[in-house]
Amino acid sequence: MIDLDEEKKMGNEEKVKLGYLEGERVPNFKSLSGIEYQRIYGQSDWSGQLPEAGQYPFTRGIHHDMYRGRLWTRRQQSGYGTPEESNERFKYLLRVGQTGLNMDADVGTKLGLDPDYPLAQGDVGLQGTSLSTYEDMKALYKDIPLDQVSSTLIVQPPYSAVVMSQYLLLAKERGIPWENLIGTIMNCALTQLVGPTLQSNTTFFPIDLAIKIGLDVMEYLIPRAPRWNIVNINAYNIRETGVSAIQEAAFSLSMATDYIKGLMKRGLDVDSFARRMAFFSAAHIDFFEEVAKLRAMRRIWARMLKERFGSKDEKSMWFRTAIQTSALPLTAQEPLNNIVRTAVQTLAAVLAGAQSIHTTGYDEAYSLPTEESHKLSIRTQQIIAYETKVVNSVDPLGGSYLVETMTDQLEEHIWEMMKVIETRGGFIQCFKDGWVEEQINEARYKMAEAIESGAEGEVKIQIFKHAKDMQARRIAYIEEYKKNRDQEAVIRVLDKLYELCKDKPESNLFEPIMAAVEAKATIQEICDALRKSADFMIPS
Amino acid sequence: MVFEGKKLILGKLGLDGHDNGLRIVAKWLVGAGYEVVYVGLYNTPQRIAQTALEENADAIGISFLGCEHLYYAEKLLDELHRNDLGHVKVVLGGVIPPDDVGKLRSMGVNAVFTPGTSKDEILKHIQLLWNQ
Repeated sequence: MIDLDEEKKMGNEEKVKLGYLEGERVPNFKSLSGIEYQRIYGQSDWSGQLPEAGQYPFTRGIHHDMYRGRLWTRRQQSGYGTPEESNERFKYLLRVGQTGLNMDADVGTKLGLDPDYPLAQGDVGLQGTSLSTYEDMKALYKDIPLDQVSSTLIVQPPYSAVVMSQYLLLAKERGIPWENLIGTIMNCALTQLVGPTLQSNTTFFPIDLAIKIGLDVMEYLIPRAPRWNIVNINAYNIRETGVSAIQEAAFSLSMATDYIKGLMKRGLDVDSFARRMAFFSAAHIDFFEEVAKLRAMRRIWARMLKERFGSKDEKSMWFRTAIQTSALPLTAQEPLNNIVRTAVQTLAAVLAGAQSIHTTGYDEAYSLPTEESHKLSIRTQQIIAYETKVVNSVDPLGGSYLVETMTDQLEEHIWEMMKVIETRGGFIQCFKDGWVEEQINEARYKMAEAIESGAEGEVKIQIFKHAKDMQARRIAYIEEYKKNRDQEAVIRVLDKLYELCKDKPESNLFEPIMAAVEAKATIQEICDALRKSADFMIPS
Repeated sequence: MVFEGKKLILGKLGLDGHDNGLRIVAKWLVGAGYEVVYVGLYNTPQRIAQTALEENADAIGISFLGCEHLYYAEKLLDELHRNDLGHVKVVLGGVIPPDDVGKLRSMGVNAVFTPGTSKDEILKHIQLLWNQ
């Protein structure tokens, strides 16, 4: 990226001189995280032994056969406008070859606000779909078999408790046993909005209560929906703030450590839940570093689970990750270049052994991903899967002196940073202390120096062209909804939720939240009851 | 420094929390000698106008990402007029489709910076705001 930008600033003569007379050279040989690539790697750098694929610590992948047994899931994120509009896009994506759904909710939903809340009105349905009621979920998943298509629901706690309730109630209504549900609730506190930045995570809900309800969701799901992932530890959004691969891995693995500790504190056996914890990581554009990062994360997760938490079930030690190709290297100028970038990033994810992939649309820097660009993302993955033959052998980069050396180096750096976080009281504590924010701000300013342009660091969001009508419809819908229901029943369940949260803070709040959804309370009404119990005010 | 004394309010309107770009621009402006009042996320047009009034600001800079720009630009400009703040310049930036730039300008927005605008260009145009 730097290269191309530099080139633009040069005159033609300079370009000719650089290109033809002197030969082109990249400005330095550092990785994105600052690791110096050696001229060449050899036996003196790495001469270790590798485990078989599917064997601890899973450097070569979590399965014996990897993609020979089953390809990764093609899971493009989507969601915009009304639930009905998103349902149409879901069906389109499945028709053109997507193999799993990835439901993104709008910012209001992700902050527990209804479309008619004044501060939320301008954002309704823009960066995801608007999802306030049980009926919304029903419309969103119309005609989609919940036990055959896996879904990721991108919502963080406490709002994840409401959206998960909607989903479970829908399965119940359709007669689908919860044990047959396949998918993931993101349910990762502190990172969902724009990474772990303080203001975005502290303005609309108290942090400690959010984390607690996140654990409630996990605890509730474990025995009841055994094929459902209880959390998707969101490393991707951490990375998109501009931090390094090492920070991405260390922050997310440390956050996972806090969740594991939290569930164990509730008396749960680590092997009852760890196999249902999954990650959501980035694939940036430093090809080998990204491959090495994911291999290193696999090893750390396995070692952490076995040695620190005493896991005895190999499935708990499987680091399973969804990948989204990072939007940071994409640019709005010459957008077709982004097709090439995302293809390279997707290839890195495949060679690293990812479980599912979202290939970011090339046009997301300046428009709503069109059906065409969504399709192109799916085709990119299909070309890699079916034409390039890279899936034919497991861990094809394994044993490369470079990749193995870098995997070792990254693993060491990640462990080191995890230790720093641990001595500071763990990730959640570091977040609350503002330490995480400091790290992020430092990275942001470095990024600014590197790009020296006014481009937004993040360009991953969809743009909705004709928002006004859609927003007006959603606002009218929710106003009507609140008028036409058994008001007493709503008040009853909300009062109960409020009292429970206030008087018995240790009790699991998932069932009372589901009861509120069933009684037709909206997402904001439920969250407001919880906020009230903590005496928490939100901006109006 | 020619910019001395010019004061800008920088912030975001509504619920979108993407502030990487805005923070970076804030740093550039401070580096160029402006006084920046950074009000962060989750503002209403009323609150921004109120802050502009209290701070006696010369300009307001807002960044958008999720296509809320038309909705909020209209409300912000109304609010400024209601408070007799018509002299306060309004600058928008972020992921704004090229088609909407003209619309925003004709509504009364003084400058719009779309993705990829260089630091130099941003600083040059902001300086020009007071020479128009």
